Amino acid sequence: MKKWLSLFFICPFLLAVTSCYRMRSSHGGGQISSISSRKINTSDIALPPGYKIEAVVSGLTFPTAVAFDDEQRAYVIEAGYSYGEVFGEPKLLRIEPGGTTTQIAKGANNGPWTGITFYKGAFYVAEGGEREGGKILRINMDGSIKELIANLPSVGDHHTNGPVIKDGYIYFGQGTATNSSVVGPDNKEFGWLMRKKDFHDIPCADIVLNGINFTSENVLAEGSKGEATTGAYSPFNQSTIPGEIKKGSIPCTGSILRIPIDGGAPELVAWGFRNPFGLALNEQGRLYITENGYDDRGSRPVWGAGDVLWEVRPGLWYGWPDYSAGKSIIDDEEFKVPGKDPVKAILQIQPNKPPKPTAIFGVHSSSNGFDFCTNAAFGYAGEAFVAQFGDMAPKAGKVLAPVGFKVVRVNINSGVIQDFAVNKGRKNGPATRFKRGGLERPVSVKFDPSGKAMYIADFGIMRLTKKSVQPQVKTGVIWKITKEGS
Amino acid sequence: MKANKISIVILVAAAIVLYSCALRKSEPIVGKTFTAKNMQVQHGQELYMKHCQKCHPGGEGGLGPALNSTPAPGFLKKLQVRAGLGTMPSFNHQEIAKEDLKDIGKYLKALKHF
Repeated sequence: MKKWLSLFFICPFLLAVTSCYRMRSSHGGGQISSISSRKINTSDIALPPGYKIEAVVSGLTFPTAVAFDDEQRAYVIEAGYSYGEVFGEPKLLRIEPGGTTTQIAKGANNGPWTGITFYKGAFYVAEGGEREGGKILRINMDGSIKELIANLPSVGDHHTNGPVIKDGYIYFGQGTATNSSVVGPDNKEFGWLMRKKDFHDIPCADIVLNGINFTSENVLAEGSKGEATTGAYSPFNQSTIPGEIKKGSIPCTGSILRIPIDGGAPELVAWGFRNPFGLALNEQGRLYITENGYDDRGSRPVWGAGDVLWEVRPGLWYGWPDYSAGKSIIDDEEFKVPGKDPVKAILQIQPNKPPKPTAIFGVHSSSNGFDFCTNAAFGYAGEAFVAQFGDMAPKAGKVLAPVGFKVVRVNINSGVIQDFAVNKGRKNGPATRFKRGGLERPVSVKFDPSGKAMYIADFGIMRLTKKSVQPQVKTGVIWKITKEGS
Repeated sequence: MKANKISIVILVAAAIVLYSCALRKSEPIVGKTFTAKNMQVQHGQELYMKHCQKCHPGGEGGLGPALNSTPAPGFLKKLQVRAGLGTMPSFNHQEIAKEDLKDIGKYLKALKHF
């Protein structure tokens, strides 16, 4: 009896100890000791019964999205920039039969090209704008490029994303400059703070601040000595006072904006997003986006914030920097970094109560580009298929196991998320972590015009350490999933 | 001799438990997709997505530990939801009602054994 009593106490104790977050080291998918070459092996990928997968093209450098012209030919964009401060040339490539590519257009050194769509004989591309600011480009079939808008505020952590076209307008996402509205040492690690010392977040409408300031190492001082005090929506080392008003302006960060199809002044659609990466219209023409949630980094870290699928309703504020997935992060243990103080409110007045999310993805899953299935023959019609790039631990925060590195499907009515394409094996993670040949970092999903085939842009290998991000060129792959027999 | 036999039995049992803990029990790894068999499981699945998925995606590990592979009995998991433990926040009756927590438990059980 005594022994059983001991077991009764020992078991929960062991369970508690082994599951203790703070005692365990981070096990992010990119935390690998060495980088091996990329293998391709479709049998390493699990799909629901009745589906098959093939690699359409490999050896790409940072592919981010796929589009189709009006002859149903597939195209891919290479980003031309990756976290880790790897700059290259953004490219639009046509995928030829047999897995070769033909270059259609080449961009300037202002990547990353984050998304593409085809509309009435031309491509529309979101240029992330890490060096010169974000742009929306029209690329004609002859490769000529026209800027429809430029100088978008995207030289920070997050970029210009999208686009999609609806009712004669180009809708696109504009990510925030920072993790949670405060410029800090983490932005130096990203690289941009040394290039753009005065850059910071811009609200879309006038906001009133609580005047909370954050002390950090003065990373812009000579020799990195001394302290800096920085407030929200302000340049590094510039403090704020209670009741201070920050004027809103368009274009702003953390927003969905739109411009007329032939270019023109941007208009606000909705705001209060952190990084609205993926944009897609469902069959009813409703606009949905994926938002990358807060990281556990910087001067105002936030813990436990999942990525989100939102339906975008015009005019609304969606909660950043004081909410996550429709829930306040202020003084809530759910969002407090273990061992640190609770998160304090930036805004004195909330523009509106944020709406409820469509679905909440895994913390740090980096749920990115997505598309809706519109053909019942493929299965799961009406559901959103979302590419999960996977965690960027330990830079973005600690995880106990790799998160993401797969494609999931989402029932937008119930919010239920289920795996669709995922690497086989005893543990989840990118294929190279286990020296296999499956998915690495899926970054977007696109159905072909028939709706019978789903294409996945797989960014390629990215190794992470506490100090560096190491993306690997020429490791990107485009995958194609179809129903067997179709 | 008897002691040796007991030791072997304990070792084999421990090995089975450890092996089953290490197995990945998520879809579509197991070769099929999960479908809720009744309303309670479906309700539990929807609540799981709202409250639990972000830290335990698909019952696997992430920000929090894996649930699909843990040998902890249901009542311990419910206790942890109510009390919180370590970095896991607690959820009170206003956040997750008693019946709702039961349904989440039924979903987790169904997911673990489908």
